[in-house]
Parts: sequence; C-alpha cells; structure tokens
Amino acid sequence: MLSLPFPCVDGLSLPEEYRTALRPGETLRDRTGRKRVLPRTFLRIDSWEAARDTPLTAHFMAWELIGVDVREAPVQRAFPRYVPCAVLLLAAALELFRMEVGTYVHVAANGGYRSPGHALNHHASRHCWGTAANIYRVGDTFLHERDAITKYTSVARRLIPGVWIRPFGGADGEVDDHLHLDLGYTTFDPLQSDEELESSRK
Amino acid sequence: MQEATLRETVLGLAEEAGANAVAVAIHDFEHRTSWRLNGDRWFHAASTIKVPVLLGVFDAIEEGLLDSRSRVHVRNRFFSAVDGRAYRVESSRDANSEVHAALGRTLRVSELAEHMIITSSNLATNLLLDVVGVDRIRATMDRLHLEGIDLRRGVEDEAAWEQGLNNRITADGLCRALRLIEERQAISPEASDAMLEILHRQKFRSGIPAGLPDDARVANKTGDMSTAAHDAGIVYLEDRQPYIVVVLTEWEADGNARQKVIARISRAVYDYVTAGA
Repeated sequence: MLSLPFPCVDGLSLPEEYRTALRPGETLRDRTGRKRVLPRTFLRIDSWEAARDTPLTAHFMAWELIGVDVREAPVQRAFPRYVPCAVLLLAAALELFRMEVGTYVHVAANGGYRSPGHALNHHASRHCWGTAANIYRVGDTFLHERDAITKYTSVARRLIPGVWIRPFGGADGEVDDHLHLDLGYTTFDPLQSDEELESSRK
Repeated sequence: MQEATLRETVLGLAEEAGANAVAVAIHDFEHRTSWRLNGDRWFHAASTIKVPVLLGVFDAIEEGLLDSRSRVHVRNRFFSAVDGRAYRVESSRDANSEVHAALGRTLRVSELAEHMIITSSNLATNLLLDVVGVDRIRATMDRLHLEGIDLRRGVEDEAAWEQGLNNRITADGLCRALRLIEERQAISPEASDAMLEILHRQKFRSGIPAGLPDDARVANKTGDMSTAAHDAGIVYLEDRQPYIVVVLTEWEADGNARQKVIARISRAVYDYVTAGA
C-alpha cells in the first residue's frame, strides 16, 4: 500500500496548460548538451492550506519546497499545483541536513521545485526535477558569505550520499548567496496498485 | 516675483551653498505656465530614476505582464550592465531595511513599488528592474515621449559607475513625467492615481516640502548621492490648482546643507507661482 502525502498523478493525463508548463517525459539539454528526461509522475497539491499543513518529513512542510514568484508559469503559481514525486527524496535529504544542524533550514523562493516553464531556468536545471534546493538561511545565519556556505557545504557532503553542491563564486554556474544542493537528474515513480493508478488518471 | 528675479534667486542660492550646478523646471496648472532654468541639462539621476521605474512597472501591469499582487523573490544579487559581474545592494547604504529583511522570501510587486518610492529602497528598485527589464522601461519612456530620462542600469552598479554608465535625467524630463501622472495620462487614469497615491506617502520631506507652508501637500521623490541632491514633486495648495517643481543640484562629494538649499529654492518657486494670489 502506497503512503504519499498527496495524490500521485501521471503528468501525461493532465490538461494541456499543465502539460505545457510541466512537459512530463520530455527532454531538456544540460550544459554539455546531453538530453535529460523530465519527470512524468507528480504529486497534486490542491491548495495553499494543504501545502502549508502537510508534512513531507518531520521538519519540512510541502510549502517550503514549492515557493515560486512571478517568473513561474501561471498555472504553477495557482492551485492545484503539481510537483515531481522526487521532491520527497529531496525532503528526505534535507531532513538529514536539518537533523545534523539542529535548527531551521530555509529554502528560498524559486529555490525548490520550478517547472520547466519557469523563466529562471537555464539548461536542464535540477529544480525542474524537484531534486534541488537553494538554502539561503540556516537558523539565524544567512548564507551570503564564503565561510558560512563552505561550512554547510561540508555538512551536506558528509551527510547526503551523491549530493552535488554548486561551487561558491560570482561567475556563471557559481553562487555566493545560498547553498545549492541537488540529487541530480533523479526521477521517482512510486509503485502504485492498479486501483491507485486508475484513480490517478481521473 | 518676476521670472528674472526667480532665476537670480535660484542661481544665488545655489552659488551661496557651493553647488556646482542647478536646474529647475516648473509647471503650474493654475496659470498653465512653465518655467525652466537649465531644464535640458543632464544630471546623474540618483534615486529620482525610481519615478521612471515606477512608470515602467505600472505599464507592465497595464499590459498584463505583471499583476500588482504578483510575488517577487527577494534576492540580493544583480548583474552589472557593463560586464555582467554579480553585485549586491549594500544594506548599510540602503535607506530601507524592510526589503532586506525579506531576503529569501517574496514580496508583492505593489509592496516593492511602495518601498522603492516611499523609503527609496535600492533593493526594491533593482528587483523591479529585474522583473520588468531596463529595455522594456526604456520603451515605456519612448512611448510616453519622455525625453530627458535615460535609464541604463540598476542602482549601485559600481562597475557601471566606474565606466561612466549612469542613469541620467533632466529637470524637464522629470517635470514631464510628473505632469503626465498629475494629468492622469501616465499609462492610464487608474495607474496614474495609484502612482500618485504612492508618491504622496513619501517619507523624505526635507527638500521641496520643507520650503512650503505647513498646509501644503506634496507628492515627491528625492534623489541623494555623494555628488547630487534632487527633489521632484507635485505641490497641492488650498484653493488653487497644483504645480510641479523639479530641483536638480550637483556638488563636490558630500557637500553640506544640500536639502536645505532645495527647500529654499522650493520656497522661492512657491513665492513665484503664488505671487499676486
């Protein structure tokens, strides 16, 4: 029996405006030109209240990983909103980090899931897979200096197997005002029973 | 007061205070007259450039590209107009701390517009410039026939400053912009009303408003930096139509009493437009 915080849906069954924004199963090219297949399976979050009140892990509520701004595709600024199921894996990784640092871990707006229709995306951003987080603050420490970012980079590398951290700096591909961590081009298609699959298509 | 007297008064006040240059533009709706001194001289815009940015934001809203309730990620990282280098707005040099306090989160377009004008937030200005785009705001200025306004870059872009790429304005240009707003012809009547409402809530009142009687209401925007001090406002007095006054001044770095001289010029303009009333 499946245990998910939100209904799981097949992106190809969504109305056209959502498919245009989410591009389920389509490809994006990464910096090297390699094609990467976008997620096809999504969690459906019906309302802001549901996002606010639904925990993904012990310390992370859904809303913390779906904050976006005016640059996001309009359908993904409203509800229902769809996020790749891999956001659960991201939440689990962040939970490890949260337990180690022992204080609040703040993910920036536009710093969790962003749809491929989001204007800030370059190349095949892992934010489009729901596997990347931009942490701008840990407890009372804002991560806008090398020392703080380096410190928490070490923590993340030690705790999260396979994590990728964007290098510190001001050049293209670097960051100096948050800690970007991601789990790569990971997709997550939860196992579902026939009944659940049928329900997800409705 | 005669025109020649006003000219002598303004030049005398500026010279006495040690200003390197002064420009004044006036438009009086009561008498349907305009007056200018060095009206087409270019100055570094300082924070008066935020009035054109406000126009650009409301134009984007009018065109449906934005909604005043749209949320914008508050991130203090911008890219220089000359070399693309990342830079930040120093919170210690920003008159507004509320936008800095929202780092990582979002603020609405309307909130950023208010912070940009009312407390002259540099961070809010750059965030709005990022969302709307310098080129788009320049196109808005062209469409409104606002010559005398030259928006080039974000605020505190030091690399651009070092290469002489700055936002510039003339007294005439800024006067025309305020005139469009007062005449409800800036973007739309509703947009003009909304912009006017924001300008009326201005916190910085030591320039034009300080030279006026207590019952005067002023919708204004100041600009202050090491080598420039400006103020531009629409002045509302009892029993008469409003007038617009723009005062631009240039100084050696960190000259003293700059807002005081703007207040005194404002008083001279008040005496001029109300003479014989």
